[in-house]
Amino acid sequence: MSDPVLVIGAGVAGMTAAVELADNGVQVVLVDRKSTIGGNALNLYKAFPTDDCFYCFEGNRWRPGIRKCFYRSAMIDQPNIELMTNTIIQDISGTPSKFTVKLVIGPQYVDPKKCIMCGLCVEVSEAFALESPQCQPQAVTYDPSKLDEGAKKAEQDCPTKAISLDANPSEKTITVSDIVLATGYHEMQPVAVDEYGYGVLQNVITQLELARILDPNGPLGGRLVRPSDGREAKRIMMIQCVGSRDENYYPFCSKICCVFALKHANIIANERADGRVSVVYMDIRTYDRHERYYREAREAGVEFVRGRISRVVSTEDDTLEITVYDSLLDKYLRFSIDLLVLSSALEPPEGLDEIIKTLGLKTASGYVGPADAASEDEVVVGEHVYACGGVLGPAEIPESVNQARAVVSKILQGRK
Amino acid sequence: MGNKSSVLLCTCGKQLKLDFDFLKVQVSKLGLADSVTVHDLLCQEEGLATIENLISKNDGRVVIAACTNQKIQPRIEQYLRANGKDPSLITYVNLREHSAWVHEDLKEASRKSLDMIRGALARSAKAVPLQLEKKNIKNHVTVIGGGIAGLESALNLSALGYEVVILEKAGTLGGHVLDLPMVAPTGKSGKEILKSRLDAVEANSGITVVTNAMVKYVEGEMGDFRVHYIVGDSEKKSETLTSAIVMATGFKEFKPTMMDEYRYGKNPDVLTQLELSKMLSLGALTRPSNGETVKEIVMVQCVGSRNENYKRDCSKLCCTFAIDNSLEVLKMSPDATVRIVYMDIRVPFENEMIYKESREKGVDYIRGRISMVWEENGQTKVRIYDSLMNKYIETTPDLLVLSTAILPPEGITELSETMGYAVEDDGHIKDLYGKLRRTETRRRGIVAAGAVTRPQFVFEAVTDAQAAALVLHNELQGGVIQKIARGAVLNVDDCVGCSLCAQQCPRGVPLMIEQAEAEELDEDQKFLFKAAIDTLNCHACGVCQSLCPSGATELNFLTNEQLWDEIDAVLEGAGPEEPITLCFYCEECAVSTIDIVGTRRIQYPSNNRLIPVPCAGRVSIIDILRALEKGASTVMIAACEKDRCHAGGTGNEIAQIQVDVAQDILNAIGWKEKRVEMFRMFSAEPERFIKAIEEMTERAKKLGPTPVHDGTAGKWVEVTK
Repeated sequence: MSDPVLVIGAGVAGMTAAVELADNGVQVVLVDRKSTIGGNALNLYKAFPTDDCFYCFEGNRWRPGIRKCFYRSAMIDQPNIELMTNTIIQDISGTPSKFTVKLVIGPQYVDPKKCIMCGLCVEVSEAFALESPQCQPQAVTYDPSKLDEGAKKAEQDCPTKAISLDANPSEKTITVSDIVLATGYHEMQPVAVDEYGYGVLQNVITQLELARILDPNGPLGGRLVRPSDGREAKRIMMIQCVGSRDENYYPFCSKICCVFALKHANIIANERADGRVSVVYMDIRTYDRHERYYREAREAGVEFVRGRISRVVSTEDDTLEITVYDSLLDKYLRFSIDLLVLSSALEPPEGLDEIIKTLGLKTASGYVGPADAASEDEVVVGEHVYACGGVLGPAEIPESVNQARAVVSKILQGRK
Repeated sequence: MGNKSSVLLCTCGKQLKLDFDFLKVQVSKLGLADSVTVHDLLCQEEGLATIENLISKNDGRVVIAACTNQKIQPRIEQYLRANGKDPSLITYVNLREHSAWVHEDLKEASRKSLDMIRGALARSAKAVPLQLEKKNIKNHVTVIGGGIAGLESALNLSALGYEVVILEKAGTLGGHVLDLPMVAPTGKSGKEILKSRLDAVEANSGITVVTNAMVKYVEGEMGDFRVHYIVGDSEKKSETLTSAIVMATGFKEFKPTMMDEYRYGKNPDVLTQLELSKMLSLGALTRPSNGETVKEIVMVQCVGSRNENYKRDCSKLCCTFAIDNSLEVLKMSPDATVRIVYMDIRVPFENEMIYKESREKGVDYIRGRISMVWEENGQTKVRIYDSLMNKYIETTPDLLVLSTAILPPEGITELSETMGYAVEDDGHIKDLYGKLRRTETRRRGIVAAGAVTRPQFVFEAVTDAQAAALVLHNELQGGVIQKIARGAVLNVDDCVGCSLCAQQCPRGVPLMIEQAEAEELDEDQKFLFKAAIDTLNCHACGVCQSLCPSGATELNFLTNEQLWDEIDAVLEGAGPEEPITLCFYCEECAVSTIDIVGTRRIQYPSNNRLIPVPCAGRVSIIDILRALEKGASTVMIAACEKDRCHAGGTGNEIAQIQVDVAQDILNAIGWKEKRVEMFRMFSAEPERFIKAIEEMTERAKKLGPTPVHDGTAGKWVEVTK
């Protein structure tokens, strides 16, 4: 029997690749550094282009074309997938088609195959939490820094004995035939872009943080409030290209932030009482049918200002006084705002440069580049090494899925 | 075969607040329950072994009342199959998310649970085992279109083991990419990009190329398509027998002859961007009007795109196209002046760097619009409005190049009539589901790759083609399709040939077959056409069943009798004292929403009973009316959001029609109030279900006893003056 395929990163792209491979009879080791998989998509609330849930998943082979909700994707019960959460790649060696991969597996405090989400532990201890009702695997997570008496009681009383508080990290070395990189993108934390005050002023947040606030299943139950005082936020300003198209940070366009921002602007303008949104931009880049978001935003009364923010000052009651240079009118405008949302650049995830170096891959602005650029074959990034999703550069969910399928197509061809 | 089932109740590690003693006693009394076992952890090893033991009794009929089947069903089925047992006769009831976790009142939650178990027993009593079936199909795929997407999908399918025919309408392969002088970000020419693929196709004996081929129509279904086409000007008709089809017919560049303001088609020095590409590919940059060298070019973006009169959306590629061409122009004549008039420059990811490069090389960008083009002394004059400077500029370019909209290719709508894929408002082929299923189309066995679905960059079209190859490989499984036949089964004798199923199936599975013997029958009995359904091609939504006027087509795991028996059993004892809302919920978005409500333990009134259906489109008018006849006070259908039906896009719209008609019927027979309603939901917004169920509970209460409860339904009531 052939060696398994290693998929690094269990977001939209990695999970799709893993499931498609598994359904085609290929053994897969799916690794994610977090305890809850799903990657960035898990926190999106609504995803474009369909504006329904962040994520769904193909469920059963006997109903192709029909999707299942993410939480029902049963990754831990797929016979051909070995899901390893809380795990990082320490080293890759060997040769293409026979890679040796050393994994460091963090403590497995909760066995996801045993956890039945009965709620007992969450009731008696702060250390346990259900990340999201739609988390995957469907299991609670444990935070050892919050260890309390209740946690010990939970360990004892857990009906399935799924909890092990003194679990230790371990190591494992596996041999794999192919490697699929699906480590996604990371939203830049624009602390260094000091003109906006991110990290200093509480009411300055990023788009992904706004998505959490708007999510009815999120920590605030979908109430649009100012982080500083919990008061309802009515006047919202968004600023595009924070760190993108900027020689000081990332020279590339992050591609999806305009749509991301306008999706949120429309939700606020149409579904939140008295929500008023202004978007400060250089070029609005709603490619292809995403133009719809731009049309809808204008219809919903979202205000567009072409220019840049020149100053952000917080007043005593945490309102933000913002000065904007309007390049169409060639003058400065002043705004009083509750919440400033930064459309921050999407950057390569941490640790990617090391993988790129180890595997000797090409790069595209820090992301993974195709092995043979002239072939226009983006998913083949090395010999027996493939990539899909945000690791190839900012990507939407449908693109990530397509790329994952292209990868699987290529791997299956290699095994014919 | 008996009709009794073993019943398993799971306490979820003794954590569920339900009266299991009551449930055990009450369920034991039910005639259809053979035995009742209360278990603490069915999902764990020991529990799975318990299920395996019980499956050997009662021919395998088991009712499992536990947590959501969306979670435990895969695990149970995998365990049983690994042990050689058939799980197809298990019926699930969700006691946890749909009852214990959402109703504080132990008694009410237990009663609701009991009713739903009773319903499941009734459904289980008439369940039939599902069989593993196998069929062999031709290992052959037809690719329509020989551009970059068509070539790439042909090569991938061939590598996956399929014989491939490429039908190309032009005389040569390659499509639009052939004419591109350079493709960002690599800077390679289109010919270079195509070369390795063209060579590979030529060297591959498993790929047959037919050029000058025009596809006329398609017959048949997945595994057995027949593609009809003609070659060249000949009247000779050809055909290909094939199992699946890749639509890769690319795009068409908009020719703005009707937009007078640009003088395209009247002034020979006004070109489209692709016309300029062709000129640059040939290495000759001259004015078409007089053959003189070109020193100044004005390019205009968004001609026809982002324009309500032509194409509403952005064409995505044109900004990069224009920049590519302007760099190529500067390569050929470094002294040339290039101005690009734009609204927003849209260059994704690293194309931004090409944009920057072009600025550095002196390409002049003017934000604004062209206000007028005219000719003067053999020169082209252009007036530009600059919105940043708020002023007008007049210039005399040698070439005016229009970045015109990317439109769908010819023939998409015509072919959709026989191929059965859906078409977007903008004329491109519509994805099965925009978020996750791009290359798939509504019609099973037909995928679409490349610009035929949306404007795509070359690398995107390549990825699209590779993904499309996988989608078809998943479907065709190398020519041997082996799976459990779970879906619609047609009893041909009962078919009346109305073709509703063939018209409305979300995936285009039923076919209408001409009846050869029909001629011999007399006029009354004659059906010229009857439906045929291949259960292995069906995806089991039940739309055909709810529409079938003669009950000829039924899902083999949820027949009409099964659902009616379940309705009757669930509603046993339902009356005016405690009005009951019956909720049919689809096992896609609705079940997720209701499960998430459960996981978040959001409380809602308990006087409702829930019945799962694979898709809302499975619920017929008769099912709705039956629920009312059996004592329900209100009936609701919980379905996917509008335009987001997970069963191919139309199941929830069919359900809406059923609900509308049911309302009309009720109105006509004097049930004035709205006791039937349809609700759309998705799991990211769990409150949608809460609002819906509260609304229907409220209506049940407010409207009081139904005519059924009053005993007046179905009776003639004398009208008094």
